[in-house]
Amino acid sequence: MKVAYYSPMPPDRSGIADYSALLLPALRERVADVVVAQPGKKAPDADVALYHVGNEPVFHGWIVDALEKRPGVVVLHEAVLHHLVAGLTIGRGNGRGYLDAMERDSGVAGRLLGLGVLDNLLPLLWETQPERYPLTGTILDLAEGLIVHSSYVARKAREAGYAGPLWKIPHPAWPIEPVEPAAVTGEPLIGCFGYLNMNKRIPALLEAFAMLLERRPGARLLLVGAAAERFDLDRRLERLGIRGESLIRHDYVPEDQLWSLMAACDVLVNLRSPTMGETSGSVIRGLSLGKAMLVSDVGWFSEIPDNVALKIPVDRHESATIAGALELAADHAATLGASAQHYVRSEHDLRHVADAYAAALEMAAGGDAVADQVLWRISEAASEVGLEDTSELFRQARGAGLV
Amino acid sequence: MRIAVCRPQVPFVYGGAELVADQLVDELRVRGHDAELVAVPFKWHPRARVLDQALIWRLLDLSELDGPQIDLVIGTKFPSYGIRHPNKVVWLIHQFRQAYDFDRTEFGQFSESPEDRATRLAVERFDDVALREARRIFTISGNVAGRLKEHSGLDATVLPPPPQKLAFRTDTYDDFVLSVNRLDRAKRIDMLIDAARAEPSLRIVIAGDGPDRERLQKAAAGIEDRVEFAGRVDAETLTDLYARCRAVFYAPVDEDYGIVPYEAFLSGKPVITTHDAGGPLEVVSDGQTGCVVAPDAGEIARACSLLIGDLGMSKRLGEAGKSIAARITWDACIDALLA
Repeated sequence: MKVAYYSPMPPDRSGIADYSALLLPALRERVADVVVAQPGKKAPDADVALYHVGNEPVFHGWIVDALEKRPGVVVLHEAVLHHLVAGLTIGRGNGRGYLDAMERDSGVAGRLLGLGVLDNLLPLLWETQPERYPLTGTILDLAEGLIVHSSYVARKAREAGYAGPLWKIPHPAWPIEPVEPAAVTGEPLIGCFGYLNMNKRIPALLEAFAMLLERRPGARLLLVGAAAERFDLDRRLERLGIRGESLIRHDYVPEDQLWSLMAACDVLVNLRSPTMGETSGSVIRGLSLGKAMLVSDVGWFSEIPDNVALKIPVDRHESATIAGALELAADHAATLGASAQHYVRSEHDLRHVADAYAAALEMAAGGDAVADQVLWRISEAASEVGLEDTSELFRQARGAGLV
Repeated sequence: MRIAVCRPQVPFVYGGAELVADQLVDELRVRGHDAELVAVPFKWHPRARVLDQALIWRLLDLSELDGPQIDLVIGTKFPSYGIRHPNKVVWLIHQFRQAYDFDRTEFGQFSESPEDRATRLAVERFDDVALREARRIFTISGNVAGRLKEHSGLDATVLPPPPQKLAFRTDTYDDFVLSVNRLDRAKRIDMLIDAARAEPSLRIVIAGDGPDRERLQKAAAGIEDRVEFAGRVDAETLTDLYARCRAVFYAPVDEDYGIVPYEAFLSGKPVITTHDAGGPLEVVSDGQTGCVVAPDAGEIARACSLLIGDLGMSKRLGEAGKSIAARITWDACIDALLA
């Protein structure tokens, strides 16, 4: 079987490129021929095509173009594609395409909202409230099969009207090399890694850490990542008294240092709201290291088992809940960490993920033909002996997994 | 109890799997149960036919009949365990290995075409449904249990079936090595023939018949005086061959179970097998009950020569095997299956 594989690949700085770099070698061990498609090159001839679709037009625009020419299996990495669709329509001077996508998702009201955006009467929806208008419909209409990483995205896809075959395949975990923890400590040391913005609930985290400091003066907060534009991180830190020994701050660190800093932490915090349905590679890496973890109780994060990560509801008590959870996680870091490692090994094992991909692709490529053959033979045999109602035969075949 | 024992039947082929199911029916009847064999012809070529066969079993509903109820069904090998019944026990002889460990090997049957790949997957899904319905799953060997765990994620209890009830005995330790097996490429009888070619003093007798006979006979060209093809033999001839041989060769590729070593042991004879033979390795231990060597004609020749040259060793290893084989009984099997 030959698979045409469409994805951003390194050196593109994209989580999906990293994902594909991890998955491809394992997939090639299970599928006879996997050809990675290149932007601007002729589409590979194949039995089935696999399209990785994320929300970034720069990385995924050409992939959606290819999908439009030849439907195939779509890997929907996020439940919200508004930014992508806006880039592929408005970004290419095709305002009408944007309106069509809005109407596909939200009916005439959506189209009218789209008109407001095009006429600069409304703020840009992909910046202000993309989760309300996910615009996945036009992509899903082209999918012959759908791979998602979470029940959350599966549900969103069904709500968007997708009725075809769907496979939920977990995000694979990176193999863990032994990591020497960096020489930083705290009592406890709380780590938060990645782009620092409102969406990562940083204001709530800072307020919670300030509460923790009152109870545990030896606590330290390690913040690694650039602060978003217009996000007044320094002023917030100053106002809450998080400074001096209680704060370690890095804008950027190289990959190996990032791992050793993560390994030094007692608790990792990876909050997110609103969610676009994304799976967090960073959370999986942290769990792989056996770290106690706090996540927001939304989207894919809600599906992490309760004994693996502490899940923080996004409500008016968020800061206080985080503060309590930081203490709880620090006190039970070893137990939570052991559960985390066990969970990642069992649920996010690369071999299982690659097996599931191979099975999904095999089904997408040949499943219909095989089912048709079986059902045709059932019908033929039934009609030869005068049986007209074959519904029971079909039901049994389906129930036994044969079609 | 009223019990239906289910097995597929490749027409005109009779091997270990058929023997186990037939004996089970006999032994159940001996113990006062009302047992019946349910057999359906099995055909697996061309590839998509395998799904039709699975569906046929699925459509056989033995959950209730007019009149007396069937209390228990026992499925054995693919796809007979797909039968529907509220009290289903599986005594797994093997899954459809072409869809699993044989896939993408010389023994597989599914190509890389999308249809073949999807058919293989459908077999996997069928197993998932059919085997999970079973109240309990037993396997005929640890090897089969291991594969079931690996491929379907299911746990099973190992329950080896006893060999056929023949008058096994020990007469002599003549200077020939016996092969008892279906003449099939996967049974690797050609390794024994090659061993005979490599060791000019080695004499072998090959009992059994099958599709590989012509190829094997060609392989024995020039050494016909030391390689005897006995063909399909009756029970009396079989027990006689066991009773007189020096040792028994049995080295299929990753065999499910292997009843032959038990028959050899009951005849007081050691077994020569290979590291990759699968099931036989659960009872054949090197230097304890036989010789376990690399799958190589030279190594097999050396093992045969060792046993031919050392009568005491052959007797000692064979006797040790006899005590192992004697522990496998129908009473234990039936107690477990009906529990």
